[in-house]
Amino acid sequence: MSFRRPPRDEHTMKVGFVGRGGSPGVSRQVTVDVPAGDLTPWDLDTKFKTVGGRTDRLDAVAKVTGRAKYAEDMRPAGMLYGVLVRATIPDGRLEGLDLDAVRGMPGVRAAIPLKDLGNRVRWVGDPVAAIAADTLDQAYDALARVKAEYTEGDAPIDFRDHENAPALRDGVVDEPWPSQDAAKIEQALADCERTAEGTWICEVQTHSSLEPHGLVAHFQEDDSLEVWASTQAVFGVQSGLARAMGLQPAKVRVHAEFVGGGFGSKFGPDAEGVAAARLSKETGRPVRVLLSRFEEHTCAGNRPSAIMRIRAGVDADGKITAWDYQSWGGPGYAGRGGGTRGVPQWTHAAVTRNSQSDLATATDAGRSMRAPGWPQGNFATEGMLEALASEAGMDSLAFRLLNDPDPLRQMEWRIGAERFGWADRVNPTPGKPREGDAPRILRGAGLAAAFWGQMGRPGNGATCRIHQDGTVEARSGAQDIGTGMKTLMAMLTAEELGIEVAAVKVTMGDSNDPVGPGSGGSTTTPSLAPTVRHAAGLAARQLCERVADALGVAPEKVTYRDGGIDADGKRLSFREACRHVGPNPIEATGQRQRNYEGYAEHICGCQFAEVEVDTHTGVVRVTKMLAVQDCGLVLNEKLAESQVIGAMIQGLSYALHEQRVMDREVGRMLNGDFLHYKVAGPADMPELEAIMQPVANGMNNVGAAGLGEAPAVAAPAAIANAVANALGVPVRHLPITPDKVLAALAKRR
Amino acid sequence: MNAFELSLPDTLADAARKAGPNSAFKAAGIDLIDRLKERIDDPETVVDLLRLRDELGGIQATANGAVRLGALTTLQELADATALDAPGFGALREACGEAATPQVRARATLGGNLLQKNRCWYYRSNAFSCAHDGSGDRCLAWHGENKFHALFGTVDCVRVHPSNAAPALVALGAEVEIRGADADSSRRIPIRALYPQSPAARAPEHVLADEEILVAVHLPASAAAGRSAYRESREKLSFDWATTAAAAHLVVEGGKIARASVCLGAVAPNPWPLDDVAERITGQTPSRELFADAARRAFRRAQPLRHNAYKVEVGQAILVDALAAAAGLED
Ligand SMILES: Cc1cc2nc3c(=O)[nH]c(=O)nc-3n(C[C@H](O)[C@H](O)[C@H](O)COP(=O)(O)OP(=O)(O)OC[C@H]3O[C@@H](n4cnc5c(N)ncnc54)[C@H](O)[C@@H]3O)c2cc1C
Repeated sequence: MSFRRPPRDEHTMKVGFVGRGGSPGVSRQVTVDVPAGDLTPWDLDTKFKTVGGRTDRLDAVAKVTGRAKYAEDMRPAGMLYGVLVRATIPDGRLEGLDLDAVRGMPGVRAAIPLKDLGNRVRWVGDPVAAIAADTLDQAYDALARVKAEYTEGDAPIDFRDHENAPALRDGVVDEPWPSQDAAKIEQALADCERTAEGTWICEVQTHSSLEPHGLVAHFQEDDSLEVWASTQAVFGVQSGLARAMGLQPAKVRVHAEFVGGGFGSKFGPDAEGVAAARLSKETGRPVRVLLSRFEEHTCAGNRPSAIMRIRAGVDADGKITAWDYQSWGGPGYAGRGGGTRGVPQWTHAAVTRNSQSDLATATDAGRSMRAPGWPQGNFATEGMLEALASEAGMDSLAFRLLNDPDPLRQMEWRIGAERFGWADRVNPTPGKPREGDAPRILRGAGLAAAFWGQMGRPGNGATCRIHQDGTVEARSGAQDIGTGMKTLMAMLTAEELGIEVAAVKVTMGDSNDPVGPGSGGSTTTPSLAPTVRHAAGLAARQLCERVADALGVAPEKVTYRDGGIDADGKRLSFREACRHVGPNPIEATGQRQRNYEGYAEHICGCQFAEVEVDTHTGVVRVTKMLAVQDCGLVLNEKLAESQVIGAMIQGLSYALHEQRVMDREVGRMLNGDFLHYKVAGPADMPELEAIMQPVANGMNNVGAAGLGEAPAVAAPAAIANAVANALGVPVRHLPITPDKVLAALAKRR
Repeated sequence: MNAFELSLPDTLADAARKAGPNSAFKAAGIDLIDRLKERIDDPETVVDLLRLRDELGGIQATANGAVRLGALTTLQELADATALDAPGFGALREACGEAATPQVRARATLGGNLLQKNRCWYYRSNAFSCAHDGSGDRCLAWHGENKFHALFGTVDCVRVHPSNAAPALVALGAEVEIRGADADSSRRIPIRALYPQSPAARAPEHVLADEEILVAVHLPASAAAGRSAYRESREKLSFDWATTAAAAHLVVEGGKIARASVCLGAVAPNPWPLDDVAERITGQTPSRELFADAARRAFRRAQPLRHNAYKVEVGQAILVDALAAAAGLED
């Protein structure tokens, strides 16, 4: 531990990464201004004791044994069950609502309207009223008796039916390219040696979080509100409920100790959370509103559908010189947020044009979902790279190496290709069986780049407490949504203090603790990690002061080193030092500085996939996937791998299976459960491997980046490319189901 | 779900007595409880059969080679049964072993599997007015979303029968033993007759009367001969239903097919026997070409809907696979 003492200090450090597998590393000296009070940033030369190891997730046993209590598990005494009455028509206005019949029903304690008469109904599921009853079945009985009347509009259900939707012929956009800003791109395309053009389509994917949205709310007599929520943003729920209920945020206490998945869909109280709070206020009882699985699929957001088309070209060397990208998103009733994009680095040397529009429909609004817009955009982008590689007569990997400007990913491509066995797995004759395979089986391999550009931000706190018995607490009000943030907090604290991870007790998900970030955009780790380390450093400094006091030694003669204290020639172990803490524990709240100029503002990564296609049934099985992924400093290798593998699994599911199916007449989802909505399961899993590539990015005292999104960007694209390599013809429409595979094969014939 | 009375009879006679127009039998409940939760059905009484293991459980091989399968036998027990070791029974073991997931197979009963309701997503949601459940007057899937629906044998409803076990048992020529309100009302019918002759929208999915209990399935001794196989295709391996399935039973003698029986699953409102295919290949030398030709002919009569034409191709492939496996042809 070492503080920069002067008010600001110029600190020179080494950032970059160590070369691997014959590829060169990058090592750069950077000099940054470290503000007073911050810790010296970790860099390429730092040796770690705990950080970077494979510590098991601290709450793993609690989770698999059911001891971990989620919002879903909370049953405060006297709790009522709340349900939302939701619109049964997709588009129109609410003209009548009769809740009187409901109020007298057995067990019903409250029924409140949520939508005013005359107001717009935007989708099948738009909240209209809320009911609280003693049991869930009583609440549903009541729900069935509510009479609502509507006048019906005729907004489209499918974004392809929108009046501004592009004309599609055989799945290909059939209309002229935009005339806006056309001169430059047309010229660039004309100058290309070879060009390609294509259309890609993605269907709607739902978040499918295992724990439903919602919360248990208890409105108390003193006008305060306590809630147990399933959320990615403890403080988002706090401020959202405070606003909705007209309370000061401090009057709203939010608990989210465990969270059963969110993937971008759980940032506020939402209609169900506000309804629970209002029903609790009305009844004076705790009220639980947690969505049903159907509501999860239809009222909690989704990854929007998209139509994307690209035309692009390469010069005589195979370098990309022109890239024209147009996309239409289907973000539901919100009418925006359907933008898509692929990894931007490919077009660094190209003339580009980019146009995007959204097509509103009378369906649930899209919400951010694990790299919002990127898996769609990258599916199209990587599909175009394949088309260009084939135009240029190059192997897919060689084409990537030629066009990728990033030295880190250059190395990752090579490490990955070697480990995956790219040369042996790629089908040299796409559309033809590999030697030794049954004639009906086609195998192929594909790859795709990963990318993300977020390194966290200041504005949050974390507490470190040291008790006289030697226990250490690390606390943040932010939530651990399953990424393992609690474990990382323990590891960072242990590293900074030079103690065992087991000595650190971590508490997260209580709004009484310091404000932490919402878990979105891969920002929790990079925002919180430096804060947590800083808190531990401050606590260690206080420990030195207390030891100095107790021993009567001059403070400057007491230093913290290697998990213990040097006090004027005397060595105290951590536990010995803690005895001088006294009954009043040390408590330090850490902060985080603005990012320094470190190695890079983005992270890279790449993935490889191998598939096997049964050409008689059209069924695609992924047999192997491998990722090479960086994320700045790898705090816990095992958790990082788990995060990457999770993204690959979710990407596989998106690429091959998941799709919201709507009845276009009634506007209602047909597969709004887990029997008909297809999520890949255990038997569908390929061999999965994640290789973490550490990078010293030096952007703050820790230098870790988040890992939620980057690997999610690559997976579907890699699988789609593998399918194309197997079949000898691409399927440019996700999910790649048997019907589409058979249609593609028929077209090839 | 709606409140109901749970009846836990100790004897078969008692169970049959408890049943009536507003009751439902429950075996493992995997299908039934789902329908109650979705409020598609709301019986006043649920009669639980699970305690009747003595009368409804067990697998017994008789001296002459026939086998009796109690209605409460689980799919996993069937998949693992040594009494079904003969290659002739292969289709049944494979059908049960491939169904659903390990958890479901460990609980799901044979009786429940044969009598489970279809998976049409319009029928399975009580928000749609469906002709089959009586809440509507036309089949919404017919002109709606029908990717997983029927190719054959539809009247005015395009549901498909989802059971894995049923086509295998049809191919094996099984019979089902049914008991009515009185012990002397027991009857045995060919499994084909368990399903309605005209599977119209309003027709129930099986012919059992409200108080009738499926007691057992009987495999004839002749089923043990030769070899049978079951093949299916589905979009994912975990937690999914077949999009098309085929069971074939062949007895090959002197290089020729002496006896054949074939049935498709998941393509029609009932298990879909292919007697003409069986007839065509009988007396022939088994080969992939023969089977491919037979499959092509069988699917010529398919009437694809807007979104399920791919099932024609998949179904042929699966049928050829099942026939080839039953003939012992290598891939
Ligand atoms: C995820 C999942 C995947 C699945 N995949 C498949 C699959 O691939 N293939 C497949 O075949 N099935 C599949 N199923 C369905 C499953 O196999 C059936 O739901 C199960 O076999 C039903 O058996 P049960 O004992 O639970 O029946 P229950 O739900 O108890 O009963 C089903 C129906 O039969 C009636 N019944 C049951 N036993 C009797 C009896 N002895 N006499 C009279 N009436 C009776 C009941 O009244 C009820 O109407 C799947 C199910 C799930 C959940």
